Amino acid sequence: MSDQQIIEGCARHDRKAQQILYDQYSRFLLGICLRYATDKAEAEDILQESFLKIFFNIKNFSGTGSFIGWLRKIAVNTAITHYHKNLKYRYHVEIEDYVSVETGVTSFEEDFFTSDELFRVLNELPAGYRMVFNLYAVEGYKHKEIAEILGIDTNTSKSQYSRAKAVIRDKLEKLGKLKSNYTENE
Amino acid sequence: MGVRELFRRKLENATIIPNVSVNSKLMRRLARREFVRFNPYRFNIYYLGGILLVAITAAVLLFYNNGKSDKLIPVSISDDSRKTASAGYINIPAGKSIIREADKSDKNTTETIKYKRKSEPKVVSWKEPEQYSEPREKNSNVFPVSNSSFSKKGLFTESSADNKKLKGGYRNDEALFEPSATSGCPPLKIHFNNKVKSSYTTSWSFGDGGYSDQKNPDWIFDVEGEYKVVLSMPGSDGLQTSSSAIITVYPKPHARFEIVPEKAVIPDDEIRFINYSTDGMHFVWEFGDGSTSELYEPKHKYSKFSNYNVSLIVSSEYGCKDSLIVLNAFSGSEYFIDFPNAFIPNPEGPSGGFYSSKSDEAIQVFHPGFSGISDYQLKIFSKLGILIFESNDVNIGWDGYFKGQLSNPGVYIWKVRGSFRNGEPFIKMGDVTLLGN
Repeated sequence: MSDQQIIEGCARHDRKAQQILYDQYSRFLLGICLRYATDKAEAEDILQESFLKIFFNIKNFSGTGSFIGWLRKIAVNTAITHYHKNLKYRYHVEIEDYVSVETGVTSFEEDFFTSDELFRVLNELPAGYRMVFNLYAVEGYKHKEIAEILGIDTNTSKSQYSRAKAVIRDKLEKLGKLKSNYTENE
Repeated sequence: MGVRELFRRKLENATIIPNVSVNSKLMRRLARREFVRFNPYRFNIYYLGGILLVAITAAVLLFYNNGKSDKLIPVSISDDSRKTASAGYINIPAGKSIIREADKSDKNTTETIKYKRKSEPKVVSWKEPEQYSEPREKNSNVFPVSNSSFSKKGLFTESSADNKKLKGGYRNDEALFEPSATSGCPPLKIHFNNKVKSSYTTSWSFGDGGYSDQKNPDWIFDVEGEYKVVLSMPGSDGLQTSSSAIITVYPKPHARFEIVPEKAVIPDDEIRFINYSTDGMHFVWEFGDGSTSELYEPKHKYSKFSNYNVSLIVSSEYGCKDSLIVLNAFSGSEYFIDFPNAFIPNPEGPSGGFYSSKSDEAIQVFHPGFSGISDYQLKIFSKLGILIFESNDVNIGWDGYFKGQLSNPGVYIWKVRGSFRNGEPFIKMGDVTLLGN
């Protein structure tokens, strides 16, 4: 079944087409959701919400842009909505508590860390950091857009991003040392 | 590589396998949400709502119509204070209720009815007994009111010695149920519409040995006669109410006829139609060639051969009908031509080939047995291929002579061609042995 057929099937609320859409894209979308979540369970919640949105709005998909891009956008938006919804229930970590650690290392080998490790680093980030970092670094939004999306100041977005980056770098360095020691001991 | 680059490359299109349960959970949520949203492809709450709305409307209408018509409810009444009892009909305005109590412990006790309407107990209006016909027959299920239980002055007067006979209410035929028809031709299908809106068990007896406990049964009477249909309903009050109706099933005519002659040759023969129909009064014949007759036993001559369907429609005095159609009525007609394979010529001399079935020529002349021949040409050849006889008349055969000389015994070849009356051509050939004495 081509994407076009799946889209048409889903627009008719055809169960089979919906299942195929899920089977084909759930892994990819969960990859996106997991970046915005603290753990897999939360990511799966976001995934479900995303799919419900997809199934009910697929008839509005114009077909002009790429389908996968559309799906990605919905997942990201759902994650943002989810973040907003759960903001008040979250344990707030004061951003200032994270002391940025300047290190000399600025470069990482692409294959040194596995995706799972990077996911874990993201999951452990405070929600606000994670949102800004994801939107800026991975999704490629501009700080102005992020500020609008999250309802924060542009400068806040910028500073949160730089702090998030610092925290991540710190974590990666620690992880990198652990890994190197492990391999050296081998 | 910087942090941003690293995450972008590694995670932008990273895939994670969701738990299996996520799929099923999602589909359940999807089904729930789809149910509460309208979409034309799937059953959803709007369809359900529509169906419920229609059902409720129908129920309300039904109830409303039912309640609106003033219903006759069978009762037997005992006015304790005055020790009068009677039975009959009360006309109860729609929407008013009557609570009835019945004492079933003793059949001979008069059952009592208490009226809820304390303020004006006499609002109940009694119809004059004269307006009600007696049930046509008395049986265990029907509780006729003897006239003595009614007083001409009114039903609430002092009376009556007969009240002990009254076991319950009854109605006339129209009251409890309504047949879709009361007479007709067999098979007569009648729908009995039970007008009583209660869930009590119903018992129908159709008078022809058939029973039903359906609320609104359909019954088919397929034998002529008069049938008394009785509906009995034990009410919640213990009163056995019943009602009856007479259904008249008219005799059914039977269309029967015979075509004479049996193996008619068309168009030569005049066809007679012998009528064996029963219970008929009016007859319509269709001969299949477009012509019709209303005679009892018509005769008909067809102008050309074809496959005719002959039909007869018989109507009785009650308008009941029966029909008989004979398809391909003349397919049994015999069109044939056959030749013998040997003959013995008359040694006395040539006969000219004339023959008849009753004379010696029948075997002394070589000729066919036939029926329904129109065109005909017979040729007979010797073994050398010499044409020694030719006839264009089926009634002239070969006498065995050639140019005045008796032909030698032996085998001769014959060939015949022509057509039958029905237009069908035939070509046959064979040999015949001329036998000498």
